Amino acid sequence: MSTTLDVLPQAAPLPRVRLKLRWRLRLPLLHVTLAVLSLLTVMPLLWMVRTAFTPHAEVFRSTLALVPAHPTVANFPAAFGLFPVGDWFLNSLWVATACALGKLIVAAPAAFAFARGRFPGRDLGFALIVGTMTVPYVITLIPTYMAVVQAGLYDTHLAVIVPTVAHCGFACFFLRQAFRQLPGEIFEAAAIDGAGPWRQFLLVALPNVRAALAALFVLGFLSAWNLYLWPLLVLESPEHKTLAIGLKLFATTGEQGGQWGPLMATAMLGVAPALILFLLAQKQIVSAFVTSGIR
Amino acid sequence: MMSLSNHAGVARAPVQVASLDKLGMKKLTVKRSSSYRSSLIWWLMAAPAVLLCVGFVWLPMAATFGLSVVDMNVLRGTAAWRGLAHYGDTLANPDFHLALKNTAIYLAVLLPLQIIVPLLLAYALMHLAGRVVSLYRGALFLPAVLSFPIAAVVWLWLFNPVVGVLNAVLTALGGMPQRWLNDPDMAIYAVCAVSFWKCFGLNLPIFAAALANVPPELRQAAALDGAGPWRRAWHVELPLISPTLFFAGVTTLLLVLDEIVGAVDALTEGGPFKTSTNLLYFLYERAFRHFQFGEAAAVATLIMALVAVATWLQFRMFERRVHYA
Repeated sequence: MSTTLDVLPQAAPLPRVRLKLRWRLRLPLLHVTLAVLSLLTVMPLLWMVRTAFTPHAEVFRSTLALVPAHPTVANFPAAFGLFPVGDWFLNSLWVATACALGKLIVAAPAAFAFARGRFPGRDLGFALIVGTMTVPYVITLIPTYMAVVQAGLYDTHLAVIVPTVAHCGFACFFLRQAFRQLPGEIFEAAAIDGAGPWRQFLLVALPNVRAALAALFVLGFLSAWNLYLWPLLVLESPEHKTLAIGLKLFATTGEQGGQWGPLMATAMLGVAPALILFLLAQKQIVSAFVTSGIR
Repeated sequence: MMSLSNHAGVARAPVQVASLDKLGMKKLTVKRSSSYRSSLIWWLMAAPAVLLCVGFVWLPMAATFGLSVVDMNVLRGTAAWRGLAHYGDTLANPDFHLALKNTAIYLAVLLPLQIIVPLLLAYALMHLAGRVVSLYRGALFLPAVLSFPIAAVVWLWLFNPVVGVLNAVLTALGGMPQRWLNDPDMAIYAVCAVSFWKCFGLNLPIFAAALANVPPELRQAAALDGAGPWRRAWHVELPLISPTLFFAGVTTLLLVLDEIVGAVDALTEGGPFKTSTNLLYFLYERAFRHFQFGEAAAVATLIMALVAVATWLQFRMFERRVHYA
């Protein structure tokens, strides 16, 4: 390999020079194209922010100015007055946190058992968990809905949290990989010191996979924050709704009143957690999204 | 790493020998009973996850198949055998045909877009350097982290026919204002546009990573043979990253059959005149607007079969062309 690389510069001077000349012309064009596309991509969000800070009277003036003539924060209290936006936000916060934490609490010990343990039925158990990743959630929708209604959980947050936590296939798979990447010696050493599976799990394994746990928590939080169809089905009363489905209620009733400013102020609250996490840890979020394949 | 583990091994060996010498037989019996006990402990650790998966995925899946062949009376708790009648009713329903046709349109529009555009962008980004590149990457990926239905509500405002910014732009450019989501001929494409905006970014880092993994020797060898950037892309890079493209195709399929429903509900509620509905939205309406759980369960089973067949077909079609490195 190294010999061919050494030969290359001498052997191929002509195409290289020609290429460089061509690229010198092309690069600025490429930069301009990408800058325009990037701007277009974030434009809807900029327009959302713009509308959130635009006074009611100015919203209806057809204008393309990105900064409103008289910026205001009045849309935020107005939104809280029209709908229980504060409740929605806190509900989303609580439901998303509970879902993300619940997934970790269920998946982490199981993943450790599948990574380090030897016990009869281990492979069957793991297949039952990982196999769920191939099942579209649509197929479970109706019976789960009936079970939730029968259990008296309709219109409670538990109805959202429990089935969401139960879909822990990816979390188990992801954490098992993380546990398996730890050197086996540290567990053998712990076992010789008399640590059983639980102590090995809590004192040795968990502290060593903090990055994976953090990534999973963020993914679980965002995917629960973004849940739509399921909360729409099981949460009925306005004050129990989460932000995503509350916003839909707001949009269908607020549209007629032209309450676009308050609506966009609420949408801003809705995208805020994802936006903040993304700005804080862009690299980690991108790689977590890519490995999980969530959309 | 290696030297560390060797040290641990060396340090451990004498301890084990010493304890065995002292305890002899007794040590063995203790070890066996503790292995039964530790088996039990391992099982207890795994049990919650296994039980939840069985209770909330595998049992409901079986129940859906069951529901699709009976008439369930939830109030009385009785079920009457219907055989394949729910499937027959569904297949004869013109709304189902419409949903099927629209699902095909969503797929036909989104599948090529979701692969070609991020691929072109990944190529472009590969040839650029500097700090500004990470800014491009961030901006292009940004919609992918947002909530689909919340993003859809933002687009509801952009699409507004009277005061929305899209029509303002159109009229400023000298075009005619459009009705967008209220136009039966346009609504489905508007939903496609929002879905594309929301989802294309996710494929970008996936494709970029695949392109970065192409061995540089191959590019250099092709350049040596006189292949320009386009020919190298087509004959060297594209075949090598084809497994990734294949994977993105399957993901897009699931997006259309699964995730898009939130955006459809938030943007158009399947309208106007059901022109932007799809299979999952049809199921949602049958089950939770008309409470025809048997029919809806039949639709769910059909969707599941469709996902299985389409994934298999995609796999078969691409299998021959895909090069696994």
